[in-house]
Amino acid sequence: MPDDRELSDTRAGGRLLGDQVPGLAAVDELVVSRQSESLDSGDVLARKPFGFLFWFACGWVGLVVLAAVLANVLPLPNPNFQNYNALNAPPNMHHLLGTDDLGRDLLSRLIFGARVSLVVGFVSVAFGMLIGGTLGLISGYKGGRLDVALNAGSFVLLAFPAIVAVIAIVAFWGQSLFKITVILGVAVVPLLFRVVRASSLSFANRDFVIAARTMGATSARIVFREILPNVVPVAITFGLITVAGVIVIEGTLAFLGLSVALPTPSWGNLIAEGTSNGALSTNVYIMLWPVISMFLLLLSINLIGDRLRQRFDIREGLL
Amino acid sequence: MSVTDESGFSRRSFLSRGAVTTGAVALGAAGLAACSSGSSGSGSTSGGSGSTNAKPGFGSGTPQKGGSATVAIIADIDGFYPPANHWDTNGYLYANTVYDPLMAVAADGTVQPYLAKSLTPNSTYTQWTMKLRSGIKFSDGSDLNSAVVKANFEALNASLLTGQALKGIAGVDTPDDLTVVYNLSDPRPQFPSGLTTQVGYVFGQAMIDQAAKGGTPTPVGTGPFIYSSWQPNDHFTATRNPNYWRSGLPYLDQITFRPIPDDTQRAATLKTGGVDLILTTDPVSIKAFSGQSQYQLVDSLTGVIGEPTVAFIMLNTEVAPTDDLRIRQALAKGLDVNQVLKIFGSGFTRPINGLFLPGSPYYSDTGYPTHDPAGAKELVKQYKAQHGTPTLQLTTVPDPRLEQLVAVIQQMWNQVGFNVTVNTTQQATLITDFIEGKFQAATSYQFGNIDPDLNYVWFSTTTVQPVGSIALNFPRNSDPQIETALLAGRHSSNPSERVAAYKKLNERLAADLPYLWLDQYPFAAVGDSRLQNFVGFTLPDGTKGYGFNEGIMVPTQMWLNR
Amino acid sequence: MAKYLLRRLIQLVVVAFVISVLVFLLVHLLPGDPAAQILGANDTAHNRAVLNKQLGLNLPLWHQYFFWLKGVLHGNLGQSYLNHTPVTQVISTGWPIDLELIIISQVIAFAVAIPLALVTSRRPNRPVDNISTTATFGMLALPPFVIAPIMVAVFAVGLHWFPATGYIPFTQDPATNLRDMILPSLAITAGSIAVYYRLFRSDLISTLQEDFVTMARSKGLSPRWIMWRHAFRPSSFSLLAAAGVNIGALIAGTFIVEYLFAIPGLGYSLVQAVNQRDYLVVQGITLVVAVAYVVIQFLIDFLFTVVDPRVTRE
Repeated sequence: MPDDRELSDTRAGGRLLGDQVPGLAAVDELVVSRQSESLDSGDVLARKPFGFLFWFACGWVGLVVLAAVLANVLPLPNPNFQNYNALNAPPNMHHLLGTDDLGRDLLSRLIFGARVSLVVGFVSVAFGMLIGGTLGLISGYKGGRLDVALNAGSFVLLAFPAIVAVIAIVAFWGQSLFKITVILGVAVVPLLFRVVRASSLSFANRDFVIAARTMGATSARIVFREILPNVVPVAITFGLITVAGVIVIEGTLAFLGLSVALPTPSWGNLIAEGTSNGALSTNVYIMLWPVISMFLLLLSINLIGDRLRQRFDIREGLL
Repeated sequence: MSVTDESGFSRRSFLSRGAVTTGAVALGAAGLAACSSGSSGSGSTSGGSGSTNAKPGFGSGTPQKGGSATVAIIADIDGFYPPANHWDTNGYLYANTVYDPLMAVAADGTVQPYLAKSLTPNSTYTQWTMKLRSGIKFSDGSDLNSAVVKANFEALNASLLTGQALKGIAGVDTPDDLTVVYNLSDPRPQFPSGLTTQVGYVFGQAMIDQAAKGGTPTPVGTGPFIYSSWQPNDHFTATRNPNYWRSGLPYLDQITFRPIPDDTQRAATLKTGGVDLILTTDPVSIKAFSGQSQYQLVDSLTGVIGEPTVAFIMLNTEVAPTDDLRIRQALAKGLDVNQVLKIFGSGFTRPINGLFLPGSPYYSDTGYPTHDPAGAKELVKQYKAQHGTPTLQLTTVPDPRLEQLVAVIQQMWNQVGFNVTVNTTQQATLITDFIEGKFQAATSYQFGNIDPDLNYVWFSTTTVQPVGSIALNFPRNSDPQIETALLAGRHSSNPSERVAAYKKLNERLAADLPYLWLDQYPFAAVGDSRLQNFVGFTLPDGTKGYGFNEGIMVPTQMWLNR
Repeated sequence: MAKYLLRRLIQLVVVAFVISVLVFLLVHLLPGDPAAQILGANDTAHNRAVLNKQLGLNLPLWHQYFFWLKGVLHGNLGQSYLNHTPVTQVISTGWPIDLELIIISQVIAFAVAIPLALVTSRRPNRPVDNISTTATFGMLALPPFVIAPIMVAVFAVGLHWFPATGYIPFTQDPATNLRDMILPSLAITAGSIAVYYRLFRSDLISTLQEDFVTMARSKGLSPRWIMWRHAFRPSSFSLLAAAGVNIGALIAGTFIVEYLFAIPGLGYSLVQAVNQRDYLVVQGITLVVAVAYVVIQFLIDFLFTVVDPRVTRE
């Protein structure tokens, strides 16, 4: 019986991985194996409609983003204002989602908290993508000593226990939305670097790239005109996964008191507040709303990412 | 001799949660309505005691021998060698298993000999003669004699960590095997009380020898239990000392301690039967266990001997704007402590006006400012006219309860005209900031001690240093009247003179306002129905002892109803 | 082969060295003074100076680092400033705990994610698939510090099936050890389940569209045979890759669970040491964590060659 794998060579295109700098060849494999063959081919198959869930997910993300952006304009009570006559109130007419144990409105804190979580999530990943992604793109194509050096560097950064770095930097630098975003952005750079690099690497020896080179295109043109468009889908997918991850990590940091300075709300520190000191039994609403919101947001982000990938992935589009 | 109690300096706090730290604040423990009878000195108790009618924490019926008890504490000890460590409440719980102190506190507040047989002063209180009990042996078989006690003193004196505390002792003589003479540099009628603290716990010569060689000494003491094993952050186990000098004791065969830093988890471990006794300072847990008949709850809200641990906001009197008395007065008047306590504990603890509680001989109306927002606004306006809006940074540690507290206080102060920002600093950094004066306002709690003189170093003018230098008088409040009062209290043996002195201290603090008082910091122990007599400690002659010293218990007479 | 191993060994040493320098610099930049921590109420300028000298903290940084490095090469990682426990003891107590937490949590994660993905990838976007996706995302949105108290409330306090806290070394009492470790492992595993499930499922779906699968189907092979014999192995790349990254993050990332369940693992000891400015403990544990990370990546890379012979080690 012929070896089934010989019938297809859709895997591990291009240079052999793991031979440049060993370690995290795994991530390279991961990325490449999820890419499809011909993203720039002219094949046009019947595009499947996105589906109801996709639009629902877009709607939720849109709603959250809109609410966060317009937080100041919306008719919300001050999220930090403590009303001592309405401690731990369940949802009612005055406070649609209830109040916490200091009498602060939970809906308001949820929306202002979304602001922090979204900024931390998206901006830090954008920052990481800008730096890590660009470096990965160039490094994957160019190879050589630059690639080896950057690869080794990213490996070292990933081997370092991040929590030590975060505690130290926060202790040294302080806590604010900006600082936390930068810290997390720097933390995701090596990860995004590796992912984009692997993708760029897999396209570096493709026919169309060789063709472009033969025709005399400069490296810059090749990188940005030929490789980049092919790397974008993978980058977006992983970027969205990373956004989800960062939002959850912000929660963990808040639990340790390392996130934005209180009393500014963020979903992370709302959840931390709501699960500490027996708050679960006193007032479950404090943590319930941010958990549900975060859950829906993660679900939506990944759903959107999935559908987008399917749309641009010929193979999966057949489903 | 002034021995500073280290209760303000536990470094065992991961995230400063729950542990006895300088940063936490005690807020609103549940209203534990059960009254403590007379001056039992063991704190108020509530909840049932299982099948018997004994008061919670005490035992009724004949003690049964045998069994192994497990106690969950808040944080781990930093070590068993007194010259090299700082013991907080958790540390003393451990220490009371393998060591005995020379002196102990009785339920009526007096300091009585414990490991020592007697301790008598000369007429001027500059020389104290201690007689040791004969026939007591350490767990390694060596004898308890005056040579060992003197060696103890020398090791403690030479140590960076404890030497300071023994500054008042000029020398120690050992005229015979069972007599130790302490020669003091100035009259100290309160000398015995220092020997109830860390520097009074007697450790074996073998430990001193081991330490001299650079090793970590294995605990050798005269205590009711013998060191068995210690895994930091996991457990400490000690087994029954068959040759304990108090005959018939201890009852338990074995005792194990487990540090469980998270308050909710510690309470859960008691509920699941994983431990027999827990120590807690968390008002939510205390409230949850009160009134439950299958648990025995003992707390420190009443019956504290000496000074209780109190929670407060500390103000730096050497930096702007808190260097201005009007500002400090405005902050005090703008703080609605009743409301704060209402939020954080249904208002069952009451606001305090100083270092002492009603019922203490030192208690008085100190003249501490009452809640007066209008008055506060006025003072702020005056200040503003000269210096502009006063901005202030209020610092605390990353503890959810404390962070909420400062949010509340921030709002209150902002409402009277301040511009307050909130800042969280890690415990480690905060201690250094206090010592070096790099703060404006911060939450803290301290001052639990069986004798007010033991807190001398925190209030004295001699421990004030400029910002940037090391000072133990953290608020840097230099008040000569306070110094006079402290010295009067230290050197006097006349109870009414002492009372007057410490009342004066309290009144000066209320006038100078380096501390904005909140409430008493509650300690509580919750036991299941099996464990008996965990606060019923008695002295060798049968006198009732101070069995619940703000969380510190003695395991000698605990027993299990099996 | 030997050359390959030698190269990886060199890599290990270099990475460990670089990380040790980084963490050394980082902790020494931290504000806050270990001497002040230790001295507490006995903090005077004189005492601090003496203590700093005793601990070697007054030496220039590079000197301190080389002292430490020299110690490491002799197997001496120093002692905690605070309780004088040898760092090697902290590590030797802690690493079996983390190892066990990782093993149990990952085994559970794979045991749930793999079968689930196998089932749902054949019929994507059907109810079973959507429910699974929703459920796994629910788990992702609940970080360990949320899951743990809920589980304790339900399974420990409520049902008394498991203890709320506690730990006994496996070698001492395997049965109790496992019972103690279930809830902490479950708290960690949730996130892993979500990631593994999503990745494996997505890869299976892709693989099932490959030509060789179509070929196998046209041969008349049963769907289950196809799934196990043909689709599983090629699809497991993502899983392996994600496991590598995930486990790497977990090595010291279990500290919250260790804190909540009062387990003296490396994660908790590390964070505590950073908070207490216990430099030597931080350096020692970080070194171990970095080494463990490199070793795990090495294992994963090796597993890759097993799963796909086309990937050579060279």
